Amino acid sequence: MTGIRVGKRVIGADAPVTIGWENIPKVEGGPVKRFIFTWFQPTMLFALLIFWYYAPNSLAKASTAITIGIAFKVLLLLLEWVNPRHASWRLTWKEFATDLFYVGLGYTVIRLAGFYLGSGAMTKAVQQAMHWDKITWFVSMPLLVQAFLIAFIFDFGQYWMHRGMHNWYPLWLTHSVHHYITQLNVNKGAVGNPVELFLIGLGVGGFFDFLPRAALMAGAFGLAVGTYQHINVRFNSPRWWRFLFNTTEHHSLHHSLDYEATRSNYSGTFIIIDRMFGTCVDGEAELLGMEGGRRMSIREQMTFPFTEGWKTLKEKFHRPVSLPAE
Amino acid sequence: MNLTAIDWIWHVRGDVPLAPALSGEDALDRLSPLFRQTGTSYERMTGLLRFRKQDPAAQDKMSVFDSGTLQVEQAPEGSVLRYRLSSKALLYCFLAPLLFLALAQVTIGINMLGKAPDKAASAKPEPEAKPIPMNPIDKALGAPEPEQPKKAGAKGGTANGGGGGDADEDGPRNRKPSPTPAYVFAGIFAVLYLVGRLLEDRLVKALFRKTLAGA
Repeated sequence: MTGIRVGKRVIGADAPVTIGWENIPKVEGGPVKRFIFTWFQPTMLFALLIFWYYAPNSLAKASTAITIGIAFKVLLLLLEWVNPRHASWRLTWKEFATDLFYVGLGYTVIRLAGFYLGSGAMTKAVQQAMHWDKITWFVSMPLLVQAFLIAFIFDFGQYWMHRGMHNWYPLWLTHSVHHYITQLNVNKGAVGNPVELFLIGLGVGGFFDFLPRAALMAGAFGLAVGTYQHINVRFNSPRWWRFLFNTTEHHSLHHSLDYEATRSNYSGTFIIIDRMFGTCVDGEAELLGMEGGRRMSIREQMTFPFTEGWKTLKEKFHRPVSLPAE
Repeated sequence: MNLTAIDWIWHVRGDVPLAPALSGEDALDRLSPLFRQTGTSYERMTGLLRFRKQDPAAQDKMSVFDSGTLQVEQAPEGSVLRYRLSSKALLYCFLAPLLFLALAQVTIGINMLGKAPDKAASAKPEPEAKPIPMNPIDKALGAPEPEQPKKAGAKGGTANGGGGGDADEDGPRNRKPSPTPAYVFAGIFAVLYLVGRLLEDRLVKALFRKTLAGA
């Protein structure tokens, strides 16, 4: 396989990938279906932003956001059923149960760790130390600006954390597990070693004090853009959307079996951050995973970073025993 | 320990009658391609096929099963394929509600341990909360006014969380993790187990029937 030259890099030398938007298949079907799968993404994003902007205070709460988030993901699961991107990514009972297990961990163990050890505790400590809670200029800005800044700054932090995970071995050990997924489905974003899920949740956006309404609007970017990283639905995303935002296409390349392709598209929501730092590649891949597409069990996903780390340490510090010459 | 009374939890058993023209060996020949998959090893004996799977591919039609035996037997009505398949995925899904119930108890325990310093902190006088400003653009566009913090000593009303009288009143960052999600996931996995146990039973039977029919 020769691969395709993208800037200074050759993508697709190890495994097949599609590079360039003009080469990516379009939604097939009648005009209604094509209309729905072209405008679904922008419509949902704007609908959520408008809802949070005008929702009465009695509704603009985290509990409403959780309900909307769950309902939205159920809707996306239905879309996976109606218009799958690849038959080879179809959701099976086992895949669904596995993904849901990680979603469950996210709502329980990782939330608990995040509250007492992670971003919750860090935000409080930093705010108290720096007196950032006195900075009221931020909450004086228009809501949409606050929401965009929260979402963008958080994603900027995630971009560098994610890029760091692909470039520094100790962090890669925790993240590598997530790259063993062999297909993209709605809940696949939750799949990974809990240590990594804890680390990726650390962001700088939370250090700012902000209006809860702005935070809910920022969450809409995560829900109505970030969720599409892992989904088995074919969309005709508008040109401006795929220029600004991360898409399934971008993220499938990031999960490709091709090593060089995985070193691209690190952002979670705003692909424009990748464009700023020269790591964006527009394209898609169907064959995903590591080690030729080996599916890793949950048990191995839990222990892999530690067992691999231990193996590496042993290799590094193992002193060869000198044998006497015969 | 005799597990036959409970092993239906992670075992699927069934039978498929064979067409009169189909011999036992021909039936297993037809089924063999199902076991030529990544991570699957199998052995054939007369009228018997045994398989084992290690990290099967997600789209392997039998990925939910880790091992099993398929045997052709003679019955009064003719030959019949009997199978007994074992699934760790079904077993773990059956046990998952217990794990989430345990996590709920852990959450309650950790929250209780964390209560003491909170009480001490609440004894300190709260700093005067500043009024939350509203940008003129938002006012002009008709966004609801932010709820102002209540007077010191009144419940809720932090700058982060706004007012309100429900669990959201302290803001999402200040609210202690609740055990409710763990209870919800315990329920979800109980339902998921029932769905999986019935669905995978039906799917594998349909798969064997279809493969034996040569469709």
